Amino acid sequence: MNLKLPNVMIHKVLVANRGEIAIRVMRSCREMNIRSVAVFSEADRKSLHVRYADEAYCIGPAPSAESYLNMDKIIEVALETGVDAIHPGYGFLSENAEFARKCIEAGIIFIGPSPEAIALMGDKITARKTMIAAGVPVVPGTTNKITTEDEALKIVDEIGLPVMIKASAGGGGKGMRLVHQKEDVKSALGMARSEALSAFGDDSVYIEKYIESPHHIEFQIFGDQLGNVVHLFERECSVQRRHQKVVEETPSPNITPEIRAEMGAYAVRAAKAVGYYGAGTIEFIMDDESHYYFLEMNTRLQVEHPITERVVGIDLVKLQIKIAEGLALPFQQDGLRQFGHAIECRIYAEDPYQNFIPSPGKILHISEPLGLGIRHDGYVYSGYEIPIEYDPLISKLIVWGQSRQEAITRMRRALLAYKITGITTSIPFLKRIMESPVFIKGNYNTHFIENNLPFLLSTDSCDEICEDVAIMAAYIHYLDQLKAQSNHIANKTASSPWKDFGRIVSIKGANIY
Amino acid sequence: MEIKLNDRMANVELVSRQGRFATLIVDGKTYTIDMVETEKGIYSLLLNGLSYNVEVVEGQEAKSFKVNTYLYSYDIQIIDAEAKYRNRNNASVFANEKNIIAPMPGKVVKILVQDGQAVEPGQTLLIISAMKMDSEYKAKTSGTVKHILVKEGDKVDSKQVLILID
Repeated sequence: MNLKLPNVMIHKVLVANRGEIAIRVMRSCREMNIRSVAVFSEADRKSLHVRYADEAYCIGPAPSAESYLNMDKIIEVALETGVDAIHPGYGFLSENAEFARKCIEAGIIFIGPSPEAIALMGDKITARKTMIAAGVPVVPGTTNKITTEDEALKIVDEIGLPVMIKASAGGGGKGMRLVHQKEDVKSALGMARSEALSAFGDDSVYIEKYIESPHHIEFQIFGDQLGNVVHLFERECSVQRRHQKVVEETPSPNITPEIRAEMGAYAVRAAKAVGYYGAGTIEFIMDDESHYYFLEMNTRLQVEHPITERVVGIDLVKLQIKIAEGLALPFQQDGLRQFGHAIECRIYAEDPYQNFIPSPGKILHISEPLGLGIRHDGYVYSGYEIPIEYDPLISKLIVWGQSRQEAITRMRRALLAYKITGITTSIPFLKRIMESPVFIKGNYNTHFIENNLPFLLSTDSCDEICEDVAIMAAYIHYLDQLKAQSNHIANKTASSPWKDFGRIVSIKGANIY
Repeated sequence: MEIKLNDRMANVELVSRQGRFATLIVDGKTYTIDMVETEKGIYSLLLNGLSYNVEVVEGQEAKSFKVNTYLYSYDIQIIDAEAKYRNRNNASVFANEKNIIAPMPGKVVKILVQDGQAVEPGQTLLIISAMKMDSEYKAKTSGTVKHILVKEGDKVDSKQVLILID
């Protein structure tokens, strides 16, 4: 499985990504004295990752398919620039087995797991089978693909309604159908299959029991190429909207130390079952009675990895690079601890008050929060125009506190100090989440946002004074602007050729004669 | 002077101004403030000993501002004679509730209607994609498509008029 010799030194890395994650990877490279190469689309010439990198090369037009997903072009740049390795970030090519294979064939280290592990975990039916064989609990359901209504009904009789019909190649909510009634099985099966075919080119679907009021809890795992695997504890990711994570925290307020230890051991077992190395995430779904099941594995660095870094105290990107160099994990399971509490809020360019419609555009001004326990991973700056082609994630705000309560109040403080003008962002919505009694209590599940939408969308009204303060500031600002303009005009009209002549002489000196 | 804050219309009068001190009347209330510009567009404002940081950012339109205080953000517009005149002229296109106007920038992926076509409320007229998300724009009322001002593949700006409907 592993073609590499141990202990290759990585001196130069191409980051096959954009936005905040490209910069985050380059930061670790810089600390390790590794040169970084950025690639960018024509829409991203002014993007911060291009400016942050040591080298940067254009790889094609704005649409991702012609740039950030163009494997051959990226590998061509990697070869031309003489990099030792490619870091795929998350999204784009990060979970593409073919790309990982192409890198290896070109003699470039792919900073991630083996192509075999990516392919195996990417196919949900195969992943389920492998997990069952390894003794990891999976959601009750099928182990083979379902094609006929009879097969589907037989399973439904076994596991009971409601069920989820899911695409084997799936992800992101596509090719997924929830079935409550037996008579709906046939049409749901047909729709899931046709959706799966058009989205992934593969109509394989399977059936799982639908877990009511589920918690989404995932475990960060890390393996080296020598066969050692550890877990770096969990992340609670139940604050979601349309299968998109919004807020993550660790430790999870929903599990006991005993369950944590159990789930962690299963996560390690799951990773070992596929000979996994590098960073990976085992996602579990947990019901209200603390029954948990393997859901899927993400074979890459996650968006929300910083909260793990914060409580465990380990730079996960550096660790990825060291593992890719063939080094052994520098610690064992019993050397790892969770210290304090971390929360991440994802800041999206979207308008929560207009049904979360995307809001790209030009950033007029940005002031980022500062102070103890605050980390800001972003990529936009004043004057930057967010392209319409890519993901709406503009930054991640990560806070740490000694306790969960301190982390929540710190996050609230940080969100209040975080101002982005020019576009609409989800910041006020996130602030409201931090104020929600349900979130503060901690026993929330993936229905949290839809169940609390009226609260989350309401804005607290201010007394008249703060409105009046804003009005007065704007008015005086406006008056000063007017004055500056009229002074400017007055100066211009008052000028005479003789005055101008005198000015030129005084600036340039007498030698114009 | 009238100043609009979100939906509130306020009457503002500058009584006096001396250096950093100003006295203003806002809707009948008199305030004396101590206000200095600390960075470009950022003001420190003291009012009866209370300290406010206020950020004033130019808005999309002339004489409109986005004003941020620690807790709140406001859209503020100075309504002078010129603004009143402009608003009256714009009003015709924007006031027609039927017209389809882009609330956000994006790219037109699909247009589902033609000039002269009758449309029903809730009918999808065009699809605009931004940031990997497709948004459907639907007719608000029944009517007839008078003019389609964009074509598939066009990039559109926020507040751009897309389809005129009678």
